[in-house]
Amino acid sequence: MTVIEKLVTWARVKSPWIIHFNSGACNGCDIEILAALTPKFDLERFGVLLKGTPRHADVLICSGPVTRQTKDRLIRIYEQMPEPKFVVAVGTCACSGGVFDGCYNILGGINSVIPVSAYIPGCAASPQAIIDGVVKLLGSLKGK
Amino acid sequence: MTKEESIQQELIKNFNFLEDKIRIPKERRIFVDVSADKFEEVLKFLKEKIGFDTLCTITGLDEGATLGMIYHLTRQDGIVINIKISVPKDDPKIKTIIGYFPAAEYYEREVVDLLGAKVEGLPEGSRYPLPDGWPDGQYPLRKDWKSDMLEKEDK
Amino acid sequence: MDKVVIPVGPQHPALKEPESFRVILEGEKIVGVTLRLGYNHRGIEKACEERTYIQDLYLIERVCGICSHSHSTCFVQAVETIAGVEVPKRALYIRTLVGELERIHSHLLWLGVAGHEIGFDTLFMYSWRDREIVMDILADLTGNRVNYGINTYGGVKRDISKEQLQKILKAMDTLEERTKYYIQVATEEITLMKRLSNVGRLPKADVETLDAVGPVARASGVDRDVRRDDPYAAYNEVSFKVITVNNEDVYGRTLVRVGELMESYSIIRQIISNMPDGPISVKVPRKIPEGEAFSRYEAPRGEDVHYVKSNGSDKPERVKVRAPTLANVKAMLKMLENYNLADLPIIVAAIDPCFSCTDRAISIKKLDTGSSEIMDWKSLRQYSIEWYKRKGIKF
Repeated sequence: MTVIEKLVTWARVKSPWIIHFNSGACNGCDIEILAALTPKFDLERFGVLLKGTPRHADVLICSGPVTRQTKDRLIRIYEQMPEPKFVVAVGTCACSGGVFDGCYNILGGINSVIPVSAYIPGCAASPQAIIDGVVKLLGSLKGK
Repeated sequence: MTKEESIQQELIKNFNFLEDKIRIPKERRIFVDVSADKFEEVLKFLKEKIGFDTLCTITGLDEGATLGMIYHLTRQDGIVINIKISVPKDDPKIKTIIGYFPAAEYYEREVVDLLGAKVEGLPEGSRYPLPDGWPDGQYPLRKDWKSDMLEKEDK
Repeated sequence: MDKVVIPVGPQHPALKEPESFRVILEGEKIVGVTLRLGYNHRGIEKACEERTYIQDLYLIERVCGICSHSHSTCFVQAVETIAGVEVPKRALYIRTLVGELERIHSHLLWLGVAGHEIGFDTLFMYSWRDREIVMDILADLTGNRVNYGINTYGGVKRDISKEQLQKILKAMDTLEERTKYYIQVATEEITLMKRLSNVGRLPKADVETLDAVGPVARASGVDRDVRRDDPYAAYNEVSFKVITVNNEDVYGRTLVRVGELMESYSIIRQIISNMPDGPISVKVPRKIPEGEAFSRYEAPRGEDVHYVKSNGSDKPERVKVRAPTLANVKAMLKMLENYNLADLPIIVAAIDPCFSCTDRAISIKKLDTGSSEIMDWKSLRQYSIEWYKRKGIKF
């Protein structure tokens, strides 16, 4: 890797900016994602910042199975993120549709619509599991 | 006489066609079957004279040849009255009750979307809860409709 | 039957954002709002008919992750009524205990979210830190922080030890101290009162016409609480106050929820000191006899109702769920009328909505200029915090 590439990777790994999207979840995983940002778990010590717009984000943290109504929104958000971008599916529903797989308004897990970089199972995924998954994703970036 | 029984007596007194259509399975629960054409007067009576002034929800049912609608009303003292009407499935017309209960709007839209009921008098507004682009004539909550009838989208 | 293909997409650059809120503005004032719901429609009622009662236990719990015990208990109560079983007292007490713990975690969650919406992030961090005390208790009691799975037909799945009960009592003392601090903040912090008072007014008559439920109704003086009016579980054996105020605004809704926290601590103490011994469940047949039942539960957000009809098999004939937020939507739209766009986030947050929490897109049409724009929720929140900062209200 060139010096510039090393610098950019270091910046990405040390301070990933994330955007959170709920594509039809029961809100269980969403509150655990928010809990991961609060003092007891404190995702921010990893340099993670929650951003409001996909254009500033490196990582899309997604919860919930994809409902028909949220599919286009999800694709749109993914397309607005600049490269390189990563998607984290939080919760069993985001990984595979979970308990809603087979329901008529559900298309499946997040990977039925956009490519996913990391899967964090759990119903709901606990904040510790979320932090573990995000840190693993960052670790895998170091090698790139 | 319990409160539920006195409500039953009042109803029969004013609407003798309800004679054996009222069931009280447990405290604070009354179930009534009414024919669709008499429904509005019974509803009005229950709201204005017996104090059932709160609508909880409306349940639509697929009963085979008919669609059933159950209107669940409650009173301050906790008693719930569940009034069921049935309409033919090939012409499932019901009149809106938003004149009595404005909250009925979302519940009636739900029955339209999921069971194909036709609610007369419902104002303009977006559908609920199915997404835009859902094909006409597909009513998921009907018994002959199965969840796996929709092909999953291609990636 | 033939398979049906639903044409949705493909993604097109000209495709509009699916807006949920459509707001019409005259100057700064909201003169009309419509709402498009259904983003979270998953088809649960249909899925319930296609799955057995046991499978439905797990599905119904996940209608909402914050009130999962409310939905689970409400559903289980309906099925138990149809089956004609009498649930043992100890199980009812455990259900009530978990239900009140859920109310505490939900109201503390709400306090934080409301703080976040108005830019009071310290309150968010404090209340969610305190909420972790309850989350730890729930994880200890039930094995999970969210979606507890404690209910089964005929009772509960797990018993509680005396040590766990003692731990809960200690936690109630800590939480009561912290809540007293929040009450102090709510009643003495002038900035907070200014921000929340006279915002989102909903007169008592509108609550009654629109059949609003829960803290929204109680904040407008409508004395309605299923725990007292139509008691279930162990509520007919505990004494508690139904918190009702007459403020009719967002501030009133804050007072009601904080007051309910205090009542929950009291209810939990009573439950623990009167916990009866005995079995924690009775056997319920796999096939539920024909019948129907209507069950109600006072969830943290308000009245939750379930209607279940059985046909004698091991799968329900019909399951109908009406969550409390749906009952409050019309009231929420009414509350927004004639308020400023900057008030929208907190007015919506004050009904404690349980639809998708993130990225609701809002379409705004300005009557005087004829222009329209689309805002996402986070931008609107920022706009609202800046608007109030210019008026001297900041945290």
